[in-house]
Amino acid sequence: MPQLPSSVNRGLIALGGALIERPASWLRVFRFAGVALVTALSPSAWDPAMRRATAQQIHFSAWQALPGFTFAAAMLSFVLIRIVEGTARDYGLSQYALGLTVRVLILELIPVLAALFVALRSGAAINTEVTLRHIRGDFETLASAGEDPLRHDLVPRAVGAVLAVMLLSYLSSAVALVLAYLALYGISPWAIGSFMRITGQVFGPVVVAGYALKTLLFGAAVAAIPITAALAVPREREMAPIAVLRGMVRLGIAVAVIEGGFLAVMYA
Amino acid sequence: MADDRYSQPVPHVELKALALLGLVLGLVAAFAVYVLYARGTFEETQRLYLMADNSEGVSVGADLSFSGFPVGRVQRIELVPTGQARIVIDVPRKDTRWLRQSSVFTLERGLVGGARLRAFTGNLEDKPLPPDAVRPVLRGDTTDELPALITGLKRVLDNVERMTAMDSDLNAGLAAVRAMAERLGGRYGALTALLGSEEEAKKLVTSIDRANVLLASLEALSHKLGRTIDKADARLFDSGGVMDETQKAVAQLNAALGDARASLKKADTVLAEAQKIAANTSSATADLGALRAQVEASLRKLSALIEEINRKWPFARDTEVKLP
Repeated sequence: MPQLPSSVNRGLIALGGALIERPASWLRVFRFAGVALVTALSPSAWDPAMRRATAQQIHFSAWQALPGFTFAAAMLSFVLIRIVEGTARDYGLSQYALGLTVRVLILELIPVLAALFVALRSGAAINTEVTLRHIRGDFETLASAGEDPLRHDLVPRAVGAVLAVMLLSYLSSAVALVLAYLALYGISPWAIGSFMRITGQVFGPVVVAGYALKTLLFGAAVAAIPITAALAVPREREMAPIAVLRGMVRLGIAVAVIEGGFLAVMYA
Repeated sequence: MADDRYSQPVPHVELKALALLGLVLGLVAAFAVYVLYARGTFEETQRLYLMADNSEGVSVGADLSFSGFPVGRVQRIELVPTGQARIVIDVPRKDTRWLRQSSVFTLERGLVGGARLRAFTGNLEDKPLPPDAVRPVLRGDTTDELPALITGLKRVLDNVERMTAMDSDLNAGLAAVRAMAERLGGRYGALTALLGSEEEAKKLVTSIDRANVLLASLEALSHKLGRTIDKADARLFDSGGVMDETQKAVAQLNAALGDARASLKKADTVLAEAQKIAANTSSATADLGALRAQVEASLRKLSALIEEINRKWPFARDTEVKLP
């Protein structure tokens, strides 16, 4: 039986490893997300240390990011609303400008932007820090000292990321709604009825449920994927960059898949 | 070097976290209330059923508008056993005054956007529309007319195609026009086009030439005739001509007649005197009366002669015959 060249052999081994590794890594993500959810929803888990750690993570992920992201999202929203409104008016379709703005900006664009922003800001930081602590063996040290690393370190980070995605999405959406009203109708109060009627038509029960579920899934992805990618690498210092790389790539893929899936369900 | 912001303990961190959590919950609650209110969940409504043959383009949540203002909202669309579409509409109580028993409902579908449900109320004093009223929907949209329009257009195109086909009447006509144009541009021009061939046109041209020759000879003949007439005229009416001599003869006759008239006057005088004499001699009167009758008969004959001459000769200057 002829021997395969060594490079081909190594490639096949790498491919096989990847085929086994990738589903396993996604399973770890779902497992960690499930454990974190159960822990967060268990009142007994919320001891003072967990509350403090969670508060710190919320402060880091949401509080610090809130003003900058809200301002940036407001600017982007205003520009996009003006473009949509101007284009719709040019084509004589201004009655559809508000519906289009709400659908494109509030339901699709702002949640994705919020997820990507939290992923790049908090997700990358969480990924790096958890990777380094995993390599250093800090979690084992904490466990031996009687603390629960899951409750006092990992779940607070996840909760902070989820809350940050939801807060940034909801607040920026609210700001975008107000800006849409101002851009389309000015400061006149007489268009409130029409505005509410049109937005009410867009925000059907399925759409609202989809919007809420999407932001939750974005938050879960931003929280779970970097942590599981960090915990999956071998305890070698040179593996730290690889863990961050894997975590961020998987996070990007997850955000794209979630958004694409929702678009397909809602509009296909 | 670590950033102090991330390494230093944060003051009031739990309070801030709670505030953010409260903000998220507040946003969610406000959004839920807003959506429920915007979708008319808290409005007291009256139900209206519109029956349509085709509900295509109507979506749940669409407006029923009156004078451009939304007065109702589509809640459900369902197919009933009769095969019609039943559009269930909730009309807020405050807007029911715009809908009356005589209101008419239309479903219009434009080229852009969804279908539009409209209500028209001609008499706002009419009885109000009762709850759960069922009304038919009249359709009047652009797209429904498109198939008929396209059919008509297709017919026109077929006609055009038939007209422009190789063996069409139009093409035959154009070929005839082309043949005529070629004839027009030929040797005899329009004559060839009118008569059909160059031979016929040539015949006509020859005829015209011959007619011209005939006209020239007629002209010469008319000149000769003119000269003859001139001569006859001179013969008749020039001085010393026939007419002149006749006129002289008539003048002489007039003079003779004048002399005769003078003689008669004298005779009349004599007769008057003789009558005076005869007044005494009645026997002679009868003879003289007979003589006078003869003279008068002669005068009448003469007068008739003069009148006849005058009738026959209109150039007489003095036609009056003065009798005594």
